[in-house]
Amino acid sequence: MAVKVRILGDGEKEVAYREGMRVVDVLRELSLLENEYVVVRRGKVVAEDEELVDGDELVLYPVVSGG
Amino acid sequence: MAKCSICGRPAIYVSRASGLAFCEKHFLEYFSRKVRRTMRKYRMFGPREHIVVAVSGGKDSMSLLHFLHNLSKRVPGWRVTALLIDEGIKGYREYTIKRFFRFVEENNIDYKIVGFREEIGYTLDEIVKMGRERGLPYLPCTYCGVFRRYLLNKAAREMGGTVVATGHNLDDIVQTYLMNIIGNDWAKIVRLGPVSGPSHHPKFVRKVKPFYEVLEKETTIYAIIHGLYDGFEECPYAPLSIRWNIRKMINQLEERSPGAKYSLLRSLETAIDILRKHGIGEEEQLYTCAICGEPSAHPICRACQLKLELGILRLSEERIRSLPEKARRMVEAAIRRGEKR
Ligand SMILES: [Zn+2]
Ligand SMILES: [Zn+2]
Repeated sequence: MAVKVRILGDGEKEVAYREGMRVVDVLRELSLLENEYVVVRRGKVVAEDEELVDGDELVLYPVVSGG
Repeated sequence: MAKCSICGRPAIYVSRASGLAFCEKHFLEYFSRKVRRTMRKYRMFGPREHIVVAVSGGKDSMSLLHFLHNLSKRVPGWRVTALLIDEGIKGYREYTIKRFFRFVEENNIDYKIVGFREEIGYTLDEIVKMGRERGLPYLPCTYCGVFRRYLLNKAAREMGGTVVATGHNLDDIVQTYLMNIIGNDWAKIVRLGPVSGPSHHPKFVRKVKPFYEVLEKETTIYAIIHGLYDGFEECPYAPLSIRWNIRKMINQLEERSPGAKYSLLRSLETAIDILRKHGIGEEEQLYTCAICGEPSAHPICRACQLKLELGILRLSEERIRSLPEKARRMVEAAIRRGEKR
C-alpha cells in the first residue's frame, strides 16, 4: 500500500505505493531534490533509479551540511 | 536499475554529470582516487606533514578525518590530528561533539578542542545577542566565520601543525563563489582556491581543501557507508545566511542540468587565473595584528575589529595612541561602529 519514508531531522512520511515505483518517484512525490538527499534502504545506500517494493522503508539523509 | 560501470553489480550511486554508475566498492575507489588526484594536482601535502584536520563533528569534516587518518597509515612521514572549534551553539554543537569524541577515541587520534567561551570570552550565542543589542549589522555566520578562522590558525600552530585540512566540498566552494560574485568581491574569489596562497607570515599555517572536487552528495555517501552520519543536526543560524538561498538555487539548477556544479567550479578556476594575471591576489601581504599579534590581512585583524565593535575588547587611550597610524585609525573606526546607533 505504501512506502515509509523517514527523513533524518524531519520526521516520517508515507507515500502511496505504485507498481514499478522507483526511489526518484518517492523524492518527486515529496518535492525533494535528488541532489539534496541520499536514500538508504535496509541499511544500504540505493541509487535513485532503484525499484521499490510495497512496504519498503526508506531513510533519507540530508546532503546539506549543518556546518 | 543502474549497474556499476566497472563490475556490473547493482549501483548505489549514479553520477548524472558523467553518466558513470558505481557499486559500493567501486564508489569508494572512485571517491578515493578523486580526492588523491586533487591532493596531488594542487600539491597539498609533502612527504612529511603534521596535518591538523579542522573538524566540526558534521559529516563532511568527519569524512575528511576518516579519509586522511586511513591514508596516513600508508604514509610514514604523516601525522594526522584533529581540532574541533566549539562555538557554543546551544542544541547543536553538543551532539556533533559527542560523535567527534567517539571517533577520535576509537581510532586513537590526538585531538584538541578550542572553545569560543575560553578563547574569545563568550559563546557564539552570547556574541550574537550582544551584536543585536548594539545594532551591529552582522549575521551570526560573520562572527562565527571570523572567530573560527582566527582560532583555527592559532590552535593549529600551537599544536605544531604544518598544514590545516578543512572539509569544504565542491558545493561549499561554488556557493561561496556565487555569493562573492553577487558581492562583487574578487579579492575573496581569488583566495577561493584549494590551497591558501603563498603566505610567508611565520604564524600563518597553510590551509588545504582535499574535498575541493567532491560533491557534497558524494561526501554524504562516504559518511553513511562508514557510519559517520548517524543523526542530522543543523546549525540554528544557517537559515539566516544568504548561503541558504544560494544553495537551494544551485541545487535546483543542478537538478535541471546535471554538471552545473562542476561547470561552476571550472568557471571559478578560470576566474582565479584571470584575476592572477591582472595582479589581483598576487601580493597577498600579511600584516601582524597590532593588537593580538596574529597574522592578518589588515593592520588590525578582523577578530580584534569585531571584538572592539562588540565591546569585548577595550583598549586604554594610551594603548590606542601608541599604535601605528593605520592600525590606530582602524581601531578608532571599529570603536565608533560599536558605539553609534
Ligand atoms: Zn562495481
Ligand atoms: Zn588581532
